[in-house]
Amino acid sequence: MSAVTARPVQTLIPKTKIWTGTRAIAEAVKIADVDVIAAYPIRPYTGVMNELARMISDGEFSAEIIVADSEHSQFEIAKHASAVGARTFVGSSGVGLLYAAEAITVTALAQLPVVALAGCRALDDPGNFGMEWNDTLVFRDFGWLVSWAKDAQEALDMTLVAYRVSEDRRVLLPHFVAVDGAAITHIASPVTPPDERIEGFLPPYKPPYPLDPEYGPVTKAQHIAPSLIGPEQRKVVDASMKRSREVIEEAWRDFSRRVERSYPPFLESAYMDDAELAIVTMGAYTKDAVYVAKKLRGRGERVGVVRLRYWRPYPAQELRESLEDVKGIAVLDFSYSFGSPDMGGAFYNELRAALCEASQKPLILDFLFAGGREPNVGHFEKAVEITKRAVKRGRPDRLVYWLTLRGEDI
Amino acid sequence: MAIPEYERLTWAVVHCRGVLHTAHGANLVRTLATAGMVAGKESYYYMRYDDSPERDNVPMIFYAVMGDPKVDVVLHEEVEPVGKLFDAVVVMDSSLLLHRTSQRALILDGTKEDAVLVVNTSLPPERVLEIVGERQLAHDWRGSLVNIRARTYDPEIAYPLLGALAKAWNGIRIEDIIGALELLGKGEKASVVEEAYRDAEPIRVFLRAGERALGRLELPEARGWWDLETYRAYQAAAAGARTYEERMMAMPRWEVLAPGLIEFGPTPGEKNIGFTTSFERYLRPKVDKGKCTDCKLCYHYCPDGAMGFEAIVDLNYCTGCGICAEVCPVKAITMVGEWEAEKGLREEELLTIEEALREYMY
Ligand code: SF4
Ligand code: SF4
Repeated sequence: MSAVTARPVQTLIPKTKIWTGTRAIAEAVKIADVDVIAAYPIRPYTGVMNELARMISDGEFSAEIIVADSEHSQFEIAKHASAVGARTFVGSSGVGLLYAAEAITVTALAQLPVVALAGCRALDDPGNFGMEWNDTLVFRDFGWLVSWAKDAQEALDMTLVAYRVSEDRRVLLPHFVAVDGAAITHIASPVTPPDERIEGFLPPYKPPYPLDPEYGPVTKAQHIAPSLIGPEQRKVVDASMKRSREVIEEAWRDFSRRVERSYPPFLESAYMDDAELAIVTMGAYTKDAVYVAKKLRGRGERVGVVRLRYWRPYPAQELRESLEDVKGIAVLDFSYSFGSPDMGGAFYNELRAALCEASQKPLILDFLFAGGREPNVGHFEKAVEITKRAVKRGRPDRLVYWLTLRGEDI
Repeated sequence: MAIPEYERLTWAVVHCRGVLHTAHGANLVRTLATAGMVAGKESYYYMRYDDSPERDNVPMIFYAVMGDPKVDVVLHEEVEPVGKLFDAVVVMDSSLLLHRTSQRALILDGTKEDAVLVVNTSLPPERVLEIVGERQLAHDWRGSLVNIRARTYDPEIAYPLLGALAKAWNGIRIEDIIGALELLGKGEKASVVEEAYRDAEPIRVFLRAGERALGRLELPEARGWWDLETYRAYQAAAAGARTYEERMMAMPRWEVLAPGLIEFGPTPGEKNIGFTTSFERYLRPKVDKGKCTDCKLCYHYCPDGAMGFEAIVDLNYCTGCGICAEVCPVKAITMVGEWEAEKGLREEELLTIEEALREYMY
């Protein structure tokens, strides 16, 4: 073999990297120039912590990184740092998030724009590393925004946009960026980081009333006066959540101008014009769902895919519009909710609730991928097949299917 | 059950050992995936998520996967391969060939029939083929084998292994690997890759799996509610499974599970067949009874209860950690390579802990 000549790769692919989701999110934290990071290990979140620690020790940026003694302390640290005016990053997974639940709920009521990574992980046959959504979905009710990335690229982008939305004075709510554990956090895939056009996207964080004597004395999240107990405190959060919709739209419009990607704010759909059947899902397996739809389109079947990018605020109106003409919906659902309406997953039942107000009611079937066992395209094709048959007959045999289960699906 | 979507992709898989090879394995797949990107393919790489790379010597697996403009990469975090996926297999430590992987499957399980195998070893190819034929075939193999003594080129063994891989495998071009090194700021490794590429001598291989090929498991009917006997039968089948497919078959149906995350046994004196550790070992303790003073220190210090009261090692549970040899006051215990203990052959290509890159990626 004679001497090998390298191709001029730098000009071929100037900007793309192959990064894991955890690395991509850490890069976003660096770009956001976060001041305080609170860490406590649990896979898959741990990867972000490792990447950030490495970046800080390599001098790539500087931030206080505080390793807490538990997830509860970790979220408390982020909460308090945010209250004094720091931009903060925190995160966890699985039972770790649930252990921090008390701090997590108060962060929202205190309207502190903490951004947290939720690296979704099963709850918790000890040692179950599999991916389920329940660890994050349980925080749907408390005033956190929750967005759901589909890949490492979007995880980076969403993290940046999360700071912009959370810190906006119309919102001032904390924000989970949820990513599917393993499938996004630990698989390295092509990512193009933003270039200098990102400058100015994220103005410095200036809380209206920081806990800082320089700005005058304030007390935050004090013991509530009896006369204040009532719905008013909740309404303030409700109003912020409502206002967040326009802020999210603005932020993604601005972000899309600065990168070579464009994102619809709330829903992403593929092959939905003229679709009779829709796959509805979130997260990493969207890619496989789109692949399945494309394949079935090749056989003349009118199948499309709709993906929620936000779980809070929930894009109910957008879903009603986008699913207006479909006859059947296959929900790819990585959440369970034992004893829920029709024993479906939390994701499924919320979709059903949203479509309850739709003018036409499609058949909605739940395909529940519980327990962290990974499904594959074969399962997704089967889900569409079952939905198609149910639509043809005009009624479903049943509403909920466990396709990856070993044993009888009773 | 084969899923054609995954078989159309190009896969390389790297078998290595936790801590010793974690960063080396990551370097290898990172470079490979970047080379794929240079070649215009959509490329991914990752570590098998259920492995525990923070634990010394535990077998672990990395993957690089590439589509191309006509083949979409469909996501599949490769816990259990479905079908014949892998085009190339790299083994960073030849002692991994002696045992099944941490997933209790065979190294050549989940591979395409014409797969390329690259082994970092000082052993001659015939010995490698012998052991592969004896212990690692899931189906017939008509591919090629290349042995390389990676450390003699560079302590960062990923790079010579990449050179050998490029020589034996048409899935990646050496030009693209060199391009990837540039992109990753590892341009100085280009000469190592080229040198190994020049020296590597792949040989064609044809091995028949014979009756070792995949069989069907006999499992009892689940009777709608759990009972101990049925559970035990599944447990034994899982421990004895030789391929991913068999292992999946042996996983209990939900009806077989006792409520409340119960595992039965073992009773005293019985082996816990689901938790043996031979795959963790590339060294094992050998006790010289002539020197032993019967002081019992090794017995007390062994963290896995594998050293018996009479200084007899239980190889089902010994992880080869070397603590017993370390604590023995009269140096009656020496750590011997697995190849040497089993086959009387010395493997010179073991990385020392000093040569492990102390980086941690996940
Ligand atoms: S090497 Fe020695 S101490 Fe370590 S597990 Fe084996 S018998 Fe026990
Ligand atoms: S530590 Fe050494 S001398 Fe003591 S019992 Fe074990 S082998 Fe024998």
